[in-house]
Amino acid sequence: MAIHPRARDFPQSEFLGPIPDESEITAGTRIVPGRSYGFFTDTTRCIGCKACESACKQWNALPADNMALTGDSYDNTGALSASTWRHVSFIEMIGSGDARATEMAPYQSNWLMMSDVCKHCHNAPCLEACPTGALFRTEFDTVVVQQDICNGCGYCVPACPFGVVDLSAVDGKAHKCTLCYDRLKGGLEPACAKACPTDSIQFGEIGDLQESAHRRVEELHARGVSSAYLYGAPGTPGATGDLGHLNAFFLLTQRPEVYNLPPAPTRASRRTAPSLLSGLATVAGLAAAAMVLLRGRA
Amino acid sequence: MSYPGKIDAVSGPLDRSEKPRSPYGRTGDSAQFRRVYDGPTYYGRNTVKPSPFDWKIATYIFVGGLAGAAEIIATLADLDGDPEYADTVRQGRYLALAGTIAGPPLLIAGLHTPSRWFNMLRIFRATSPMSIGSWILTAFGGFATVTAAAHAADDAGWRPRTRFFRKAARLMQIPAAIAGAGMSVYTAALLAATSTPLWAAAPRLLAARFGAAAMAAASAALSLGARRRRRYAAAERLEDFFALATLTEALIARNANTTFREKGVDDALHMPRYRAAYGGGAELLGTAAPLGLYVLNRLSGRRSERLAWAGALAAIAGSAILRLTIMYAGNESARRPESYLAMTQPGRSP
Repeated sequence: MAIHPRARDFPQSEFLGPIPDESEITAGTRIVPGRSYGFFTDTTRCIGCKACESACKQWNALPADNMALTGDSYDNTGALSASTWRHVSFIEMIGSGDARATEMAPYQSNWLMMSDVCKHCHNAPCLEACPTGALFRTEFDTVVVQQDICNGCGYCVPACPFGVVDLSAVDGKAHKCTLCYDRLKGGLEPACAKACPTDSIQFGEIGDLQESAHRRVEELHARGVSSAYLYGAPGTPGATGDLGHLNAFFLLTQRPEVYNLPPAPTRASRRTAPSLLSGLATVAGLAAAAMVLLRGRA
Repeated sequence: MSYPGKIDAVSGPLDRSEKPRSPYGRTGDSAQFRRVYDGPTYYGRNTVKPSPFDWKIATYIFVGGLAGAAEIIATLADLDGDPEYADTVRQGRYLALAGTIAGPPLLIAGLHTPSRWFNMLRIFRATSPMSIGSWILTAFGGFATVTAAAHAADDAGWRPRTRFFRKAARLMQIPAAIAGAGMSVYTAALLAATSTPLWAAAPRLLAARFGAAAMAAASAALSLGARRRRRYAAAERLEDFFALATLTEALIARNANTTFREKGVDDALHMPRYRAAYGGGAELLGTAAPLGLYVLNRLSGRRSERLAWAGALAAIAGSAILRLTIMYAGNESARRPESYLAMTQPGRSP
């Protein structure tokens, strides 16, 4: 990416405050309230450096968790949690079981890495489940938990079709990626995207991101990576079951399950009305039967 | 939905065909079990997170359903007008009141920031069964309390005007019974509107089942109350209805089990502890035994007091075990990526 012309206005190495509209320089997009922003995570560019995890922890002042080795390739983070809002997964595609690999396919196809994050769904099941209004949609079309309102009911946790939201045992509130709500308000690119050294994580306006993502898929197909596809862009796997599109979407090269993503997730709230009505109809039917069976002499 | 290009079969530590893992965990009896999803998982890690709900919420689901259904049956008995139901009406109204007193503390204790429980009443959100339920519980609590209080005032002989409190109770029991219907089923919608495989796989059947189980438990409890007060005619009619509600529950359970199997979300129910609780507790104790005892009692000509008590108590216990098992086995199903990935295969999603 070429250096933005505005970068020349800030040659100093120390700053007294944030650069106005810094995201224009670092991500090529100006952050304007009322527009939709998100992430495009291109897994073919990920090198598994975990700079996104570190940057996220640092900016959001999140504590470390699981200070141990998992034995699952280089993934010692494990999963997204209340204190981990970016998680790089590692999938080794060589060998079989305990058998040692004797041959390898060319290119970066033997070791998959993917930086997972909250998808900031268009129809977000966590937000739709939240009974207190703690979860809300921001002016940047992202989904954020208001920590001063959340009462830790935990209903957003099973509502999420991607296993993102988590309750903290420390403060008893739900936590997840805020898409750096505070940074967006200050005109800054989210920490993970800014820290990503290969532009595997790209931040921008959803429309722009979807356009460039489709171009990237075509480019990869032309270069022989025929298995590349988008997950979470409109009309692709991930954007299923009334969820609408995902504001944080991905480019994958294996089936979604390999990355621990559901192939066809659904919007949990669409089960509310059928369930409630069927239950009420059953009770009404039984009540009608009771009127007959309980009929007395009077 | 297909994935463009060639998607290779995954090998390596994810290959389940190389290293088959028992769906039963430790015991490893996989002969009768057919797993719907046999593709790759991410080191066997869960794809969705289990709910933080435990026995407190499960107990509330049972108590709330029992209270709601008791209000419905008391109202129907009162509307029928047979003086034989005098005790049933009182007991039903007081049982509903007891449920509204016991319910909120269980729910508040289930919160992880209990001091903010009142934030539940901050908004109404039509997409959230927990928000809908908070308001149903509020309405039910209010109407059931007024109904029971008016009943108590009438029993105490307070009559500011002719039969004032009796009429007040008769009036308030209608909205209380309607809210009671909501109480007995909204908890199922709450579980169904999640991404937890066992809860989400059969949204309609789960609510129908919870509703029937609540009606069965409440009529069982009230039939016992009638027997205690020697209202045998009332008790026998309540037992007839109790048998119908239990039969309904059993039929819905059969359908639900088929759906669980077809959707591939019943892994957790095959674990030894949940198999015992589900098959032995919810199904055998909760439906089969009460139905068998009822039939036996009817065939014997004169109804035996002991068999009636045994059947009703078994149904009440089974009804509570059903809620606990669905809660814990549901959380377990969320920990099993195979269950969730089976449910979210294209064309299989609920």
